[in-house]
Amino acid sequence: MTTGETDRSEILQGTLDLMVLKTLEAMGPLHGYGIARRIEQISEEVLRVNQGTIYASLVRLTQRRWISASWGASENNRRARFYSITKTGRKQLTAEAENWQRIAAVMGRLLQLEGGK
Amino acid sequence: MFDWLKILVSRIRALARKRRLDREFDEELESHLALLTEENIRRGMTPEEARRAARVSLGGLSQLRETNRELRGLPWIETLAQDLRYAQRTLRKTPGFTAVAILTMALGIGANTAIFTVIYSVLLRPLPYAKPQELVTWRSNESLLDIDDIRNQANFFTAGGGVNPEVLDYTGGAEPVGVSAGYVDAGLFQVLGVPAMLGRTIAPEEDRPGGPRVVVVGYSFWREYLGGDPSVVGMVLPLSGNRYTVIGVMPASFSVPEYNLDLFVSLRVVYPEAAAYRGVHFMRAFWRLKPGVTLERARVGMAAIDGRLAALYPEAEKGRHTLPVPLQQWVTGDIRPALRVLFAAVCVVLLIACANFASLLMARASARRREMMIRAALGGGRSRLIRQTLTESILLTFLGGLAGLLLARLGTSLLLAAKPAALAHLNRIAMDPAVLAFALAASTLTGLLFGLAPARNAARTEVAGTLKQESRTATTGPAGLAFRQWMIVAEVALAMVLLAGAALLIRTFAHLRAVDPGFNPAHLAAISIQLPAARYSEIPTQTRFRRTLLTELNSLPGIRAAMVGDAPLNGGEVTHSIAFEGRPPVPTGDEPEVDSFCVMGDYFRVMQIPLRTGRLLNDMDREGQPLVAAINEAMARQHFPHQNPIGQRIRWGRETGPPRWMTIVGVVADVKQYSLAEATYPAVFIPFAQSNEAWRRWMSVMVRAPDLSSGRIAAVKGRIWALDSQIPLNRIQSMDELLRRSLAERRFNTFLLGLFAGLAMILCAVGVYGVMSYNVSRRTQEIGIRIAVGARRGDVLRLVMEQGAVLAAAGLSAGTLAAVAVTRWMKSLLFGITPTDPATFAVAVLIMLAVVLLACLVPARRAAKVDPMVALRDE
Repeated sequence: MTTGETDRSEILQGTLDLMVLKTLEAMGPLHGYGIARRIEQISEEVLRVNQGTIYASLVRLTQRRWISASWGASENNRRARFYSITKTGRKQLTAEAENWQRIAAVMGRLLQLEGGK
Repeated sequence: MFDWLKILVSRIRALARKRRLDREFDEELESHLALLTEENIRRGMTPEEARRAARVSLGGLSQLRETNRELRGLPWIETLAQDLRYAQRTLRKTPGFTAVAILTMALGIGANTAIFTVIYSVLLRPLPYAKPQELVTWRSNESLLDIDDIRNQANFFTAGGGVNPEVLDYTGGAEPVGVSAGYVDAGLFQVLGVPAMLGRTIAPEEDRPGGPRVVVVGYSFWREYLGGDPSVVGMVLPLSGNRYTVIGVMPASFSVPEYNLDLFVSLRVVYPEAAAYRGVHFMRAFWRLKPGVTLERARVGMAAIDGRLAALYPEAEKGRHTLPVPLQQWVTGDIRPALRVLFAAVCVVLLIACANFASLLMARASARRREMMIRAALGGGRSRLIRQTLTESILLTFLGGLAGLLLARLGTSLLLAAKPAALAHLNRIAMDPAVLAFALAASTLTGLLFGLAPARNAARTEVAGTLKQESRTATTGPAGLAFRQWMIVAEVALAMVLLAGAALLIRTFAHLRAVDPGFNPAHLAAISIQLPAARYSEIPTQTRFRRTLLTELNSLPGIRAAMVGDAPLNGGEVTHSIAFEGRPPVPTGDEPEVDSFCVMGDYFRVMQIPLRTGRLLNDMDREGQPLVAAINEAMARQHFPHQNPIGQRIRWGRETGPPRWMTIVGVVADVKQYSLAEATYPAVFIPFAQSNEAWRRWMSVMVRAPDLSSGRIAAVKGRIWALDSQIPLNRIQSMDELLRRSLAERRFNTFLLGLFAGLAMILCAVGVYGVMSYNVSRRTQEIGIRIAVGARRGDVLRLVMEQGAVLAAAGLSAGTLAAVAVTRWMKSLLFGITPTDPATFAVAVLIMLAVVLLACLVPARRAAKVDPMVALRDE
């Protein structure tokens, strides 16, 4: 079971980073919980995101300076860390999104071929 | 894309803000949990359920923290820092162990580094010449004509040149001084390939009989006598009555191998007679191999040239047997065996230190078995545990290495303070980066190699097995104990080798001290004088000066003075071939050779050299009287074995003109002319006044006085300068001092090897003590039982001592065998003793045995004092 989980998180890694970037671009500054909730809502419970893994993604993106973080107050007036996308982050998002769509299209065609045999 | 750089920077910054980032991340998770809990409550959960559900969907908090730390920082650095911190904490908790371990390593590495510093400077650092690997020389000297011939014939050399050290009087300063001058040919500068620092060196066209009187000065002469004046080129120096123009100054790094020369003049200019004379081989020659030419090829080539020269000039070149050797090897030849032995010795010390160190670590590892077991049970990985233990041992050796470097610095300055004569020509012995690298590598390697076995042993802890075996006291497995006992055997063996070597040197030194130099060196001084050629070119003027000088000096109260060409132990001599009256002539080149000395005054009585038969030379043996000679016992033994030498007549072998037969009138005792270790050669003494060799202008005035205070020396100098104010008197030596100095190098080697042997013994004793006390503490219960069932204290004592004796016996047998195998390498350092002298070895064995047993005695007595009640209650 543990091995299955690591497998999945590895596959998810790049995808999750892209999801986080896109969410931040669409929603503006958000804290970790907000990002996780938003992704869950969008995926309509198809993807069961382990909320903790968001934080690994956030560290990776911050290190590349694609997102930045600052402290602010949450809805319930708690101190929370808000993340927002940076200029390089937007550029990166555009590139990654295009790349993703290309791969998705190729994958789609490939899988259809496979199915029609 | 510089993503990796950005990431690295961010990770490094995270290292510095570790605590704050941890706090912030906790806070972030905290608010995440709170938000999630609220959401869950809104969905209708009870607060309790809501909080638990929130924790579940977020995941394990400590795991999140760990992942966060790993992602944002540099985990291996943090692990290292953690290990180091942990190591430092545990080391500090056991200061005794730490101090012993660090000291052990410091001694091993310190001694090694100090000796390596000297070795590097002496043997390994390349000579300060252009392409030094091309330079060769040979043991035999050459005449200048030989050098010219070889240069013309040997196409395998690109350059060659010779030098002869002489003394010139420099009279341009406050007092006249004798300075050492190299009589060179222009090829010398060419072959060594070192350009002048200021001006230039001697050009080939100046190097001819009747050429311009020019001088190249050495750096130290330039600083000391010319004030380091940068505009010195063109200045005129008065040297031995002639005026020489300075054309260049050599750099500080320049020296001619083995000589300490102040200045350089052309032999053809300053001494044209010698330059044109083939018969006396007085020049040391250096040659540069053509690139690609091997030493073997040069040897073959030189053999051919030897043959041609011998055929052309049999009387001068018959005995030629030229064997080119690399210059580096020749320069370091005298000190090489000693340094090799010393380096081998410090390596043995280091090995013993390492064995001790490994043994200490092993003991510590077994004492910490419980701790390791717990950590393994808690999930500490095997490699992680090994890494942590290794960090600890490397930290220890590193600290030991640092302390060792301090020791080495101290040691090197001590070595330099006692710098033996063979190292005197070295300008600097300093700690190079190479030496630092050596120390660092030595200590790290030691930590790795000798920490690995204990570390693996510690990590091999099988949790269940140890738990079963474990009672209340930590015990080591049989493997650990066997390892430590082998280490002890090895240590004893190694220390035994060193001790045997040191004992051999000490006995050598004692033998040398007991050697009779043949004269009484107490209250005796030698003043070296060279008469300037310009004013004392003829025998009669020389004799007049010498005679007046002795009369003057002997009129001073409390002083007895006499004169000899070359004082004993000063290394100088003039060699003559001789012929005997009434014996068949010997072919040219095969005549026997003897040392010849001119004397004046009551030389033998002043020196207290005993007369064996006949009479001493006296003041009546002067010019115009029958020619006489005294010989030494070595000469009488070798050349008059069945004959009374008194009354026999001899002459120099290669004289031109009518034979000058000298009648032997006395035989005197042998005197050590070169060193105490060297045999005395046959020698002939003749009166200065009867010599016909006007070139023997030098002499040593031997002065014996009950006190040789500076006031008395000043009085003597005053009398000499009253006769001739231009004579340098800067070479005055007390014979006691000279004798001491002739033994200085051996004293130095003996002291060092003795020191290393002492170190080895101490380290060995510490090792034995450690293992034996550990054994005793491990067997406390067993001993308690033995005593309880009736063993006497003496039995227990014997039990432990026997165990020690077994280890000692194994170590000493191995050590004796090893010593027999290796001491022959130090044969050249010994005198009057064979490398496997049984008595010396027996003494070494006994000393080592005593040391080991003494180190066992303390733990043995502790074992004998075990109270059975206490020991058994402990269980």
